[in-house]
Amino acid sequence: MPVISKLEKPQHLYRISEIIIQSDDWKKSLDEIMQIIRSILIFDNLAVYLLKEDHNLDVFYARAMGRGKRAEADSAWGEILANQVIEESNTILQKPEISPQTDRLDQPFLLGIPLRINRRSLGALILVRFGGPPFRLGNIKLAEFIAQQISLLIERQNLQMEYQIILDRNKQIQLQEDFISTISHELRNPLGFIKGYTTTLLRTDINWDIKTQHDFLEIIDRETDQLQGLIDNLLDSSRLQTGMMEMRFQNLPLDELIKNVIIHCQQHRPDLVTRLTYPDDLISINADKYRLSQVFENILTNAIKYAPGSDICITITQDETNTNVTIQDFGPGIPERYLPYIFDRFFRNPEQSPNIHGSGLGLFICEQIINAHHGSIVAKSEEGKGTTFIISIPAAFSLHQ
Amino acid sequence: MTSILVADDEPLYQHLLSVNLEKEGYQVITVGNGEEAVEMVSSRRPDMVILDILMPKLDGLSACERIREFSNIPIIMLTARGEEQDRVKGLNLGADDYVVKPFSATELIARVRAVLRRAETTDLISQNRYLVHSNLKIDLARAEVWKDNKQIYLSATEYRLLIQFAHHIGQVLTAEDLLSAVWGPQYRDDKEILWVSIARLRQKLEDNPHSPIHIVTRTGLGYLMPPLEKETP
Repeated sequence: MPVISKLEKPQHLYRISEIIIQSDDWKKSLDEIMQIIRSILIFDNLAVYLLKEDHNLDVFYARAMGRGKRAEADSAWGEILANQVIEESNTILQKPEISPQTDRLDQPFLLGIPLRINRRSLGALILVRFGGPPFRLGNIKLAEFIAQQISLLIERQNLQMEYQIILDRNKQIQLQEDFISTISHELRNPLGFIKGYTTTLLRTDINWDIKTQHDFLEIIDRETDQLQGLIDNLLDSSRLQTGMMEMRFQNLPLDELIKNVIIHCQQHRPDLVTRLTYPDDLISINADKYRLSQVFENILTNAIKYAPGSDICITITQDETNTNVTIQDFGPGIPERYLPYIFDRFFRNPEQSPNIHGSGLGLFICEQIINAHHGSIVAKSEEGKGTTFIISIPAAFSLHQ
Repeated sequence: MTSILVADDEPLYQHLLSVNLEKEGYQVITVGNGEEAVEMVSSRRPDMVILDILMPKLDGLSACERIREFSNIPIIMLTARGEEQDRVKGLNLGADDYVVKPFSATELIARVRAVLRRAETTDLISQNRYLVHSNLKIDLARAEVWKDNKQIYLSATEYRLLIQFAHHIGQVLTAEDLLSAVWGPQYRDDKEILWVSIARLRQKLEDNPHSPIHIVTRTGLGYLMPPLEKETP
């Protein structure tokens, strides 16, 4: 038998197996496999049916090779047989009624083979020969081998797709988990200090001197503020996320607002050095005083935290369209790879987060507030040289609101 | 004076613990990471160590495990509320007790006293940071191995395998014992992975891997690190 003798040359089968293993594009791989099996197995039509989640069949791949090309959609593609093959989970041979008068296209010999991984049904492979020759045992074995290889190809593609979905979902979950662990750490620390120092003061077996008592109370006060700030940030962030933040716009002299923010920051950091420059004829802008102060305070606090000891330069400029504020520090800077993410909710520089407190909410809130002013906020940074934040608020918005 | 080592990366926690413990008459040493904590246990020999879990360089649980390799010093872990698995892990790694943050000052003091009291009734604190076997020296605090004063780099598995032998010098250890201890009980029948690992360990440790002096085979029984022959006077 010619087919058997061809089978004795296993390099075809090696090649098929190689294609399957190296495949990164199932369609291209199937095309290559078709080329190979055509030389070792005669068929006119070939179709791969896949079982979908709703138990319907879908054509995954179909090729007409010989006589089948003439008839296109009219010829047999074995769809009914495919259903039967999947149901019985067995290879099925179907022979036509032979009558010499009818067209060969009306006399299809069908071979249906289930596609399976373990016992799980993936679909069916259908081979069609119009008018014969009938499929022999050697042909069937070879076709079954090919069906196994195609099953592997399909399964791998399915797994790859599912893997990608899980990967994406995991990334999302990871971000949320990081946030929860950061937040619980950030909430717990002040709480732990408040509890710890309060109970220290309450110890009945010890008389703390006035100075020590005062120190402890100051710590408790500071940690309460810390907690308050964090809770405010959390609430703001969820309000901004859902668009529930109410803005109260009013005409504001920006220089005064920023001076107040600096004074407030210096209460905690008396050694903070800032240089503020602005034009004499600075025009007031229309803004929410509380929210805008929050933005500047956040950026200044970040500079104090991440660029300790650095001077901070704040420059206000105005042109016809915008009021711009640049806030520059001369600290270690933000690595370029993290720069695109710093305004993302929950994002924190992973190299700094173990050492410096933060929730990953501050800059997200800043951007949202500036957006509500129809403005923009961008950050530029150079490692080793420092970071600059540039905030622009459009004048048109300032004038007409 | 009883001295207590406090390891926490939060300066405020270090301060909080110090003021309370010092008022009790303890001498307090503070460090900010697990690596320093292990080093200090070895060099300053305090009477107790309090370890926070979340710390840079070496976390509290790993530090606890490392300290237990060479010392029976009383250990209290500071854990966060809700992190039950941390508490269980800590106790399994050899911690004597734990205090949950946020804690009250009086609870902390009570726990410290209780653990110290229990420790008093048992043995004295003993510690043995270095294990020496002829030209081989193991630093348990740093998990480092030295041969003829040159450092040898072992994988985590190889190191764990080696300290099994070093902790039981002169004792024949069966393949099952070693597999269970180093890889876990589910590997107890996988003798081949043990053979490969011992062969690799010998390549790194022995002058002549075919005639080993550190890890010796007792055919049919197991392996041992033989006791060093005392020099005859």
